[in-house]
Amino acid sequence: MKRVMLAAATFAALGGGSVFAAEPDGITNRTISYVLTDYDFATYQTPDGKTECPDGYNDGPRERFERYFPKDGPKGPLLGAQIAREGAIWGPTMEDEAIPFKYAQGKVAIGLNLDGKEGPNDFVSPEGEKGVDNQLYRALGCVVNRRAPGGSLTVFVTTFMQRYNFNRVLVEITDVDSIVDDDDVTVTTYRGRDALMVDAAGHFLPGGSNRADHKWGKKFISAFKGRIKDGVLTTDPVAHWYMPAKYTFQDVTTRYFRDARFRLSLTPDRASGLLAGYSDVETWYRQIIRSLSTHHLSYGEEYAPPLYRALNRLADAYPDETGRNTAISSALEMNFVRVYVTHPAKAVAANEDAAPETNRAARAADRR
Amino acid sequence: MRIIVQCSAVALGLLAGSQANAAPADPRHYETELMPPGFQVLASELEGPVFADTSGKTLYIWPLNKIRNGDIGEAKGKAPTCSDEVQRVNSGFMSPYPAGFDLPELDRRPSCTQEWPPVIAGANAKPVGNFAIVEGPGGRKQWTYEGYPLYTSVRDKLPGDVLGSAGRQTGGGDGGVYRRPVTPKANVPPAFEVFTVQAGRLVGVSSGYSIYTSDRDGVHKSNCDALCAKTWRPVAAGELAQAKGDWTVFQRAPGLKQWAYKGKPVYTFTGDEKERSYQGGDEPGWHNVWMQQAPPAPAGFSVQDTHTGQVLASPNGKTVYFYSCTDDAHDQLLCDHPGAPQAYRFAICGGGDPARCVKTFPYIPAEANAKITSRAWSIMWVDPQSGREAKADQSGALRVWAYRDRPVYNFAGDKQPGDVEGDAWGEFNGRKNGFKAFWLRDDFDRNGE
Repeated sequence: MKRVMLAAATFAALGGGSVFAAEPDGITNRTISYVLTDYDFATYQTPDGKTECPDGYNDGPRERFERYFPKDGPKGPLLGAQIAREGAIWGPTMEDEAIPFKYAQGKVAIGLNLDGKEGPNDFVSPEGEKGVDNQLYRALGCVVNRRAPGGSLTVFVTTFMQRYNFNRVLVEITDVDSIVDDDDVTVTTYRGRDALMVDAAGHFLPGGSNRADHKWGKKFISAFKGRIKDGVLTTDPVAHWYMPAKYTFQDVTTRYFRDARFRLSLTPDRASGLLAGYSDVETWYRQIIRSLSTHHLSYGEEYAPPLYRALNRLADAYPDETGRNTAISSALEMNFVRVYVTHPAKAVAANEDAAPETNRAARAADRR
Repeated sequence: MRIIVQCSAVALGLLAGSQANAAPADPRHYETELMPPGFQVLASELEGPVFADTSGKTLYIWPLNKIRNGDIGEAKGKAPTCSDEVQRVNSGFMSPYPAGFDLPELDRRPSCTQEWPPVIAGANAKPVGNFAIVEGPGGRKQWTYEGYPLYTSVRDKLPGDVLGSAGRQTGGGDGGVYRRPVTPKANVPPAFEVFTVQAGRLVGVSSGYSIYTSDRDGVHKSNCDALCAKTWRPVAAGELAQAKGDWTVFQRAPGLKQWAYKGKPVYTFTGDEKERSYQGGDEPGWHNVWMQQAPPAPAGFSVQDTHTGQVLASPNGKTVYFYSCTDDAHDQLLCDHPGAPQAYRFAICGGGDPARCVKTFPYIPAEANAKITSRAWSIMWVDPQSGREAKADQSGALRVWAYRDRPVYNFAGDKQPGDVEGDAWGEFNGRKNGFKAFWLRDDFDRNGE
């Protein structure tokens, strides 16, 4: 099978697309793949926000600065103002500021049951599923940046996805016979290297091709075992999952999840659903401050230091040697369109030199 | 292509490891032009040929550029704005922070002209070529180049130093408005351009894409056939194209002329996904074209792969970082070196605490037997508590590596070679007041350019 697969990959890499015609359900050669078009951390919202944010939303950096340093008030040294404020962002402590942080309230949140338990801090999903673990929502739920439709980041993330190939996330489902029911499939994620295909109005289109990045993107290659039931793909968790996350200017950051797993509704052209897992707190915080300057976070009224404290207080997994939890339950809402993933022949042939997860991916490819 | 930061000291006429003066730049590498009496063109290690005044000091201009809340710099053809007045408050040009706050260390803050001495024209000086004379604050007569007032930098000590623009990699836009050295035009035909990047002076076509040569080709002989040429596009020369310096034209096929560099046919690569790319050099037998390569990093340093390209790593295998800073005053003084107020850096690497700073972004120690092989890399004694330069016998002082006269660092959050968790660490993605990895290659963005 390897020879056939290599020939297919070579042909595809030369621009020939797949050598196998896609079946009506989008499966080609027992494979269907999707590319991520947009995503955001799952934030449950009521129409007026008063249920989850009864005290209103949090102030951003600009508003907070003006409260500490009123426009018409004395100015004083920069050291105690801008420099100190930036210092608090880059070297956050657990000491609260005078202005309190507002946490999301209520028992409803979007996410998955990560630990298989129903604990006192767990949520119920909007569909009634119990035991949902998403403590990150408590931290983000009352931050304007994170709330659709007006939150700056909820708007810009689509722009970032379209603008930067660095962000390309490919999900390749192999060993698949049906996208409605299949009790044993392999899901492999890659970072892609190519642009998203859009129509004249900027809508993402299915049917493009994208090259899996085996040169620089080894970190982003992970293999999951999964199953499809009633058109919903559910995977087992993988221990570590990295996701590229580039936002603005020459930042090349990543997200890091532990126990990550997918739950996606599949159609021949699109997939949508959740990636849930425990976000590493330090990585999560660093990603946001490295990718969005204080100016950019001001667009969405998101001030980072209180978030750092909230993340640490809400963290619910992976305690360190002192007992302090280092990861927080979280979920990403994701949308994909179907794509043809191509692999350079060299990457598959050299699979013995690759990372264990890459090996699994390559072996899965061999079985096609 | 694995980038090799290799020595070009011989080509520069520099004596490795010495503090010798820079040699005049090789006239084959730039277009000669008329200069004021005593002005010269000197070789520099990173920027290539640079204009210098009569004492050998590199010349700089400060073109107007936008930062977040407005434009700063000097407009072409206008009077200079750099004056003897000491700026006392921030400009408020860096959103979201307003103007009017007292700048740090006001008692020792220099004026713009103390940091950037104007290049004064003598009473009898006459305009020549692109050099003209403008009247500045206080009625001073100042040289200009192509309409921009000229300055030197107090950071430059020796002829050929270009230490006033160390933030080149992070400058522009929100990264602050840096002065830049004035360089003569590269001696390349109009179809080509030379791009100064972190790894050296890379040659490309004028649209920005890299050019390549092949080991399979001979002098004025292309062995890239029709199939090959679909991937490697010969850089065509027009009927009237003229040889220039190391650049020649040869007949590739009847009626088809191609450019060659030092006799080797040159091509662009259809697989390049961005300008100033090294992707073609990943193909066996194909090479980027360099006018000059950056001097070697110290012994023990290495190049490491990341998730987007390559970075320089210190002997412990961890990524090297440098610190960039321009202050938010109207004169945009550099705050990226040990002689400047350290409060900016301490805020970013330690929440204001120097001790925490040393743990978060530790200096890269220089071994006792470490050797200096270029002027770009030096060894410096620093006091970690003050962040200032120290004497060798000073208690607690550290002997550390410096690049372009600024200490370089590791990041404590990096666990293994190729990690870049400290990149973009600071204001405006680490470009305004913060840390950037020492990028040599980035296939997805412009890091390293």
